[in-house]
Amino acid sequence: MSSTIPPLVTDPARLSALDGYAILDTPAEPGFDDIVQLACRLCATPVALVSLVAGERQWFKARVGFPHCETDLNSSVCAHALAQPDDVLIIPDLTLDPRTAENPLVTGEPFIRFYAGAPLRTAAGMVLGSLCVIDSVPRPDGLSEIQASDLQALARQVMSQLELRRAVMDRDAQRAVEARAFHSRDALRDTQAALTATTGDLDTLLQAIVSGAMRAMPAAEGGVIELLDGTELEYRAAQGSLAARLGLRVPLFASAACHCVMSGAPYLMTDAGSDPFVKRDLVATLQLGSAVLAPIRRGTSVLGVLKLQSPRSCAFDARDLALLDLFAGAATAALAEAAAQAEIRAQDTYWRGLFDRLNEAFQLNEVIRDDAGEITDFRILEINPAWARQIGIPANQVVGATASHLFGDVAPEWITDFGQVVETGEAWRFTRQFAPNGNWYEGTAFKLDGDRFGVIFLDVTARISSEARRTALLSLGDQLRDLTTIADMTHAGAEIVGRTLGATRAGYGRVEGDVEAVIIEPDWTAPGQASVAGRHRYDDFGNIRASLLQGEALVVNDVTCDPRTVADAARWLGFDIAALVHMPVRERGRTVAVFIVHDVKPRVWTTEELAFLRNVADRVEVGVARVRAEELQTVLNYELAHRLKNTLAIVQSIASSTLRGVTEREPVEAFERRVLALSRAHDVLMQKSWTAARMRAVMESVLTMQADLDRFAIDGPDLDISPQAALSLSLLLHELATNALKYGALSAGAGKVRIAWRTEEGSAPTLVLDWNELGGPAVAAPSGRGGFGSKLIRMGLMGTRVANLSYDPIGLRAEFRAPLAEIQVQVH
Amino acid sequence: MAQSKVPAPTQVLCVEDDPILMLAMIEFVENAGCEAVEATSVAEAIGILETRTDIRTVFTDLDMRGSTAGMRLAVAIRDRWPPIELVMISSQPWDASQIPARGVVLGKPFDRRKIEATIRRFAV
Repeated sequence: MSSTIPPLVTDPARLSALDGYAILDTPAEPGFDDIVQLACRLCATPVALVSLVAGERQWFKARVGFPHCETDLNSSVCAHALAQPDDVLIIPDLTLDPRTAENPLVTGEPFIRFYAGAPLRTAAGMVLGSLCVIDSVPRPDGLSEIQASDLQALARQVMSQLELRRAVMDRDAQRAVEARAFHSRDALRDTQAALTATTGDLDTLLQAIVSGAMRAMPAAEGGVIELLDGTELEYRAAQGSLAARLGLRVPLFASAACHCVMSGAPYLMTDAGSDPFVKRDLVATLQLGSAVLAPIRRGTSVLGVLKLQSPRSCAFDARDLALLDLFAGAATAALAEAAAQAEIRAQDTYWRGLFDRLNEAFQLNEVIRDDAGEITDFRILEINPAWARQIGIPANQVVGATASHLFGDVAPEWITDFGQVVETGEAWRFTRQFAPNGNWYEGTAFKLDGDRFGVIFLDVTARISSEARRTALLSLGDQLRDLTTIADMTHAGAEIVGRTLGATRAGYGRVEGDVEAVIIEPDWTAPGQASVAGRHRYDDFGNIRASLLQGEALVVNDVTCDPRTVADAARWLGFDIAALVHMPVRERGRTVAVFIVHDVKPRVWTTEELAFLRNVADRVEVGVARVRAEELQTVLNYELAHRLKNTLAIVQSIASSTLRGVTEREPVEAFERRVLALSRAHDVLMQKSWTAARMRAVMESVLTMQADLDRFAIDGPDLDISPQAALSLSLLLHELATNALKYGALSAGAGKVRIAWRTEEGSAPTLVLDWNELGGPAVAAPSGRGGFGSKLIRMGLMGTRVANLSYDPIGLRAEFRAPLAEIQVQVH
Repeated sequence: MAQSKVPAPTQVLCVEDDPILMLAMIEFVENAGCEAVEATSVAEAIGILETRTDIRTVFTDLDMRGSTAGMRLAVAIRDRWPPIELVMISSQPWDASQIPARGVVLGKPFDRRKIEATIRRFAV
């Protein structure tokens, strides 16, 4: 049967043309209904239809007298009308026509017998169907010519209706698209405005994007941004039907979002039920019909997915997909913006935190100029917490204040130096004491933009003080080494302590009894301070003996607060003492002296300061002990010298008395004078505590016994010689001079003696001493062995027996040699 | 060393608490052509000076017991008996500014020549 259906029915071009009118399955419309009414009346038939022939059925847009709105093609007669587009198809008796004899509508209900159809032909010649009239009895005469012509006219009216209808429909569709585009642009613009205006956190920005996208695409019932975090997607800014899923984390696996991330391309999911990326079992749970997804990109990477979904299938189209991509772009911008802002905030927080935590004090300033443009002052614009800590002025008094207001008299030097930094642009490094608090600061001032400059500095008082104390101790060490009296040492110590600790008075006092009184030696005082030298009883000044008795320092930071001194505070203050330290100097477990420091203002004596004081006291103590030992040594030396000389006088006296009976007095006197010569050497030696003697002094002291020194020409390097050498040299010169006086040059008025010595270097350095007599009588070698004097001369220096004696007619010439090592004392 | 003859030898008061040294001092005085008067303490010397008017020279040791006794004696003599000449011997260094006017100090051990010459000079 189907073979009777003309092939034209399924012509794709024709079917496409039919689709273009979007007429099938639409409700009845009066325009078409009117036409079938007219057709019935025109052709006097009970049935008239506007029949549209689709690929597998015919559908009636308007009908009169026919119960069905459509039939299959087997039941279609109109299909045959397609074959003759220009003419009305008239079949007088359908039972007789081979094309229709077997038609179910002919063979069965409603037993149609007559058919006439005018083709519904488009301008392009495509036949969509027909306007047909049908009767239940055959009409052998068919239609009259007029009827046929009129039916064609009505058929053209149907086409006009269809064209009109399509035009209206197209216009409405166009309007809908425009409205939708407008709406979308509106939503996008609003979203972007919201993003620009929002300074909130990332979620606020994402919320704006999702809600904007949902507004732009009303079909969406749920929206979310799934941000990629590692291997998971996190639901952010979830709204609508997805709101409950906010915060959900799903693995990046087997989902449309995953596909979108992986492909980096927008994805339109028209039907979740058949979508290859959606898990079937989730479709119902998710109430997912269709969705659009767009990747949020940054560069080539994907940060996440913007997704809108609807419980209905096919809720979105390609336009939605393109639009969503725009929103995804906004999301990219928002994420970038949020990241940038977060970084700025983080950096700001970082720098601010650094600034606040910095140990170094920082101040931001601006110079103030007068009308002539000269810098006259500066204003502090900002400081960090360290500043307030280090300078000791609270921030609220500093920020906005001028230097001259804050620092008064000391401001000018800082204004000058900081002003120089601003004028020259050269940074200035400084280490300077800040007079208002006495602290030392080390830092750098540097120019910023315009008239502003920064200063960063650190309180280095501890270091400077420590250096000052170290320098003071070195200086004290030098002074103590050179000073020779206890008073000078204690005064030097007092001055160093006073200056180094910035005290107003310092001194040294000897302690009497069991720390009953102190006798303060002349003390060091700051300008304007009176001395407290003299004796003071401890008990007159409070209950302050206990610590000193135990050998511990008496430390009082404030006499008006310390329980030991508060009762006698007025007395202390009368001496300009508000704070004090008595550092004990101990000897054999007893406090024998104290180092005293006073300050006119209360002050906290630091551990370092007390340690310094202890150190000074110890050093002075050692120095004093050394001086005492030296003084004692000197006393002993003098005593020894005195006893020695007295004893030598007694020896002389005994000899003289013993030899009273000897008529020859010369040997007695010779003995006496030898003792005297020996003693002269001792005199010279004693000047250096018997450790050494100056060679020239030894010579002069012996020779002067015999004759005026102008009889002698003494020439040689002055050496420190050993005690033994001094004694040997004394006795030798004494005998030579005695002989010269008796027989040689000194016996004549014009005679002279030239004494010269030199050292000879070599493997064994040697001292060579020459004794040359001039201007005396001719001399001859003494006969025989000679007396004790001759023996002494022949023994030479240090008993070396290296004595070359030459009795020239013009005078004695003698040369004596001795190892320099035995003569000389290495000066240490 | 011209020696003049005098009818009565010059009286020299020797003050010394050490008997052996006293022997030597007397010898020096006598060798100088003078006559020695002995005193073994400062008190005794003052007593003699208060009772005798013929003492021309006092020859004293400055190193007697009590350390400064000799010097005090010398100062007292210059104060009370200004004409008397002073010859002193000492084993210790002395401060020239503290020596009474015209006084001569000579060190120990003895330089016989100088001591005798000085006593002789004052005796003239």
